[in-house]
Amino acid sequence: MRGTIGTNGYLVVARDIRKSYAEVQALAPMSLTVARGERVALAGPSGSGKTTLLYLLAGIVQPDEGQVAIDGRSLSGLTPGEELARLVSVMHQQFDLVPNLPVVHNVLAGRLGRWSLMRSVLSLVWPQERRLAEDTLAQLGIGDKLGERTSRLSGGEQQRVALARLLVQSSLIVLADEPVSSLDPARADDVLKLLKELTESSGKTLVASLHSPDLIRRYFSRVIGLREGLVQFDLPVDEMSDGVLQRLYQLNNGKGQVASVEVV
Amino acid sequence: MWRLFDNRRLLSLFLGVALVWSLASVDWGSAGVHSGGGGTLREFVLAAFPPELSPDFLRVGLAAAWQTATFAVAAITIAVVVGLPLGALATGQVVSSSSRGRALAVGARLFLAVIRSVHELVWAVLFVAAFGFSSLAAILAIAIPYAGILGRIYGERLADVPDEPLRALRASGASPVAVLAYGRIPIALPDLLSYTFYRFECTIRAAAIMSFVGIRGLGFEIQLSLQELLFSQVWTLMLFLVGLVVLVDLWSSKVRRSLAA
Repeated sequence: MRGTIGTNGYLVVARDIRKSYAEVQALAPMSLTVARGERVALAGPSGSGKTTLLYLLAGIVQPDEGQVAIDGRSLSGLTPGEELARLVSVMHQQFDLVPNLPVVHNVLAGRLGRWSLMRSVLSLVWPQERRLAEDTLAQLGIGDKLGERTSRLSGGEQQRVALARLLVQSSLIVLADEPVSSLDPARADDVLKLLKELTESSGKTLVASLHSPDLIRRYFSRVIGLREGLVQFDLPVDEMSDGVLQRLYQLNNGKGQVASVEVV
Repeated sequence: MWRLFDNRRLLSLFLGVALVWSLASVDWGSAGVHSGGGGTLREFVLAAFPPELSPDFLRVGLAAAWQTATFAVAAITIAVVVGLPLGALATGQVVSSSSRGRALAVGARLFLAVIRSVHELVWAVLFVAAFGFSSLAAILAIAIPYAGILGRIYGERLADVPDEPLRALRASGASPVAVLAYGRIPIALPDLLSYTFYRFECTIRAAAIMSFVGIRGLGFEIQLSLQELLFSQVWTLMLFLVGLVVLVDLWSSKVRRSLAA
């Protein structure tokens, strides 16, 4: 079948992918496989290629070389839209909700890839699959907010709405780009706990970028360290030592010299 | 390097010269008050105390105001229904192919420019010739240029929304039209509404001056009273006109408050 490739049972197979922006290498050639149900943390300093890798896995950007397949489907053959939406969903640093819409429509936006245009527009007047939205919000502890305008919700509640949208999209793999970087420690813990529980209970796969060793240990099963576009290590979480993470974030330019910090 | 005549200075200089030239070429002599004008003006102002408030005339005014209001409501409704899809097309973002989107955008913008470049009174002359002094002529005459004006502004507002929420919608598989319905329109809605209400006020004024081409309404009654020099009636009718505009303004601020809360 066109667009399908052998995956040896892995959910995500990235083969020899490489990405540069202009002259800058964002990601050196690398290969990566992720099994169904894994929770992978991507760690590394800013500019290390975490976001590039996530975007390549999400099909948001295309690799210069190599290819990414999810569930045996090559992403290069898929146009953004329905098919891609079933394979991958992405959670960004901001919640990216539409503040003027009631919560229910922001949640059901996750279904737009599966609905016809008629149904999508009709839903704005007469919410479709309302029960799904209700149940998902209830699961996240904000079942009473269904009809509320999204802009009236607190930051934590909006984060849950964004999570609910991700869940109703019901893709095979959830990618999260620094999902907790703008949150206080308690809320960061809460969001990752929810992400873990929800992906675990539905057999979904999670790949997220984050920095905190504690949170990585608590909520992920595997950690990949990136630096300057190169994979430094790829370990099960229980084999990750503090030293290995510390070295990853050390301020030097990779040649043993401490990078000079310019005072502006 | 500092230069005496860079582009901005040249433009400012040009505009300044144009202003002086246009002021100089106005024939101020003919703009003065003509003989007896002062008396008429005084008579007109005094007629406001009080305006004509007899029940019979209030009924006339109310009927005329009602007619003007119906023209305005019908015209703005048609203008929104026509202007919104055209404005959406003008963003170039309603089809997935970017080359087709651009072609549609150019076509939509051109069409909007053509229909709004003709004034409602000119459309009115045309439609009166076609349909007679009917409500249809008045409504179409206002609706067509206003669709062009609304479409242009809608297009700008819909194009200017932040991209992040739209990106999230696209990532969940939404088609360009679904992105419009779930992202662009709701995000731009406060702006769209406030501009539409402002234009609604304008349609009331436009409906009132449809009397210039012989269509009935508040303007028509004002013209009749003026011709008979019944200035106190003119005041009553103008108060009705102000009343209509104030009503729209109140409605507008109520809607905007409920959105902002």
